[in-house]
Amino acid sequence: MSSIQTPGQVLDAIQKARAGAAAFCTNFFPVESKLQGWIDHRELFAEWHPGAAFFFRTDRDFRHFYFCAADGAALEQGIASSPGLKDGPVTTDLVGSGSTLEHLPPIFERAGFRRYTQLQRLARIGRPETNDGTSDAGFAKKEDGPTALRLIENSFDRHGEQLPSPYEMESAVENHQVLAVKRSGELAGLLFFETQGLASSVRFWAVAEKFRAQRVGSTLMQHYFHIHGTVRRFTLWVNSGNENAITKYRHYGYAPDGLMDHVLAKGMIPQ
Amino acid sequence: MKSVIEILKEIRPEFDFAASGDFITDGMLDSFDMVTLVAALDKNYGISIPGTDIVPENFQNVQTIEVLLRRSGAKI
Repeated sequence: MSSIQTPGQVLDAIQKARAGAAAFCTNFFPVESKLQGWIDHRELFAEWHPGAAFFFRTDRDFRHFYFCAADGAALEQGIASSPGLKDGPVTTDLVGSGSTLEHLPPIFERAGFRRYTQLQRLARIGRPETNDGTSDAGFAKKEDGPTALRLIENSFDRHGEQLPSPYEMESAVENHQVLAVKRSGELAGLLFFETQGLASSVRFWAVAEKFRAQRVGSTLMQHYFHIHGTVRRFTLWVNSGNENAITKYRHYGYAPDGLMDHVLAKGMIPQ
Repeated sequence: MKSVIEILKEIRPEFDFAASGDFITDGMLDSFDMVTLVAALDKNYGISIPGTDIVPENFQNVQTIEVLLRRSGAKI
């Protein structure tokens, strides 16, 4: 594996895998700002195989695996000979809807991956109903960052739900992407979001255990909608098995839009 | 045959694509939408858009999509 030094190396590798591809397949959709952050923090590594480029991102005690391949055969051959996939826990996300995903999981399962969890995307279309803006929710402050990250780490699965790194958390707080509710000086809950133009996505919505059933979650969600009055499309990913969360999101008008994320893992599940 | 705007509207009916000059910056299309759009364009125009062309700059607005379609052999 080679350490990636510039975004250009990534784009070149993707272009090479795409060149002449008959059935190009990928799970790598890098957003430039995130890509730069991974490179700056030396988290991104790559391997090149005939007809395929593989990327590995270190995250806590495991790695995320991303691929760009000319077709399924190139992907399978690359996976079989990949040094980076031989050791250590690794996860990969296969995103798509319906039959578009059918051919990929078996390729990974033949290489020792196992189905770890499944996320589904929910969407809410249309202008949100907003309250009058009176709320004890506000943007998290710099000093809230570490506590907010701990709350996320304690509330979500690091292997399946793409948790932010400390520097991503710090950046999100600075960029006003994290709403917080505090009670008696303590962080009671947070809502971490990403907004682009007319679309916004909730990445994490969590309430600390001792503050549950005190309307902290609803305060956060209502404030989130209040400050996104011009947004037309709201999305989020939720664990398909988390009925409690899905019920809450449905209450706010979210519904499945058909997109699924199959998270597969190797080296961390008894086989 | 449907127009590009009609296809976009089928994928994301909540947005006014005719009013935008940059679908990506305006948040109207994400990476997953692009994959859906490519499949719809391929089917509608009887073409196969190359994988090398599935990049955000080719999906910024109706004009860039039409340039891509012509380059891919579509009669529009």
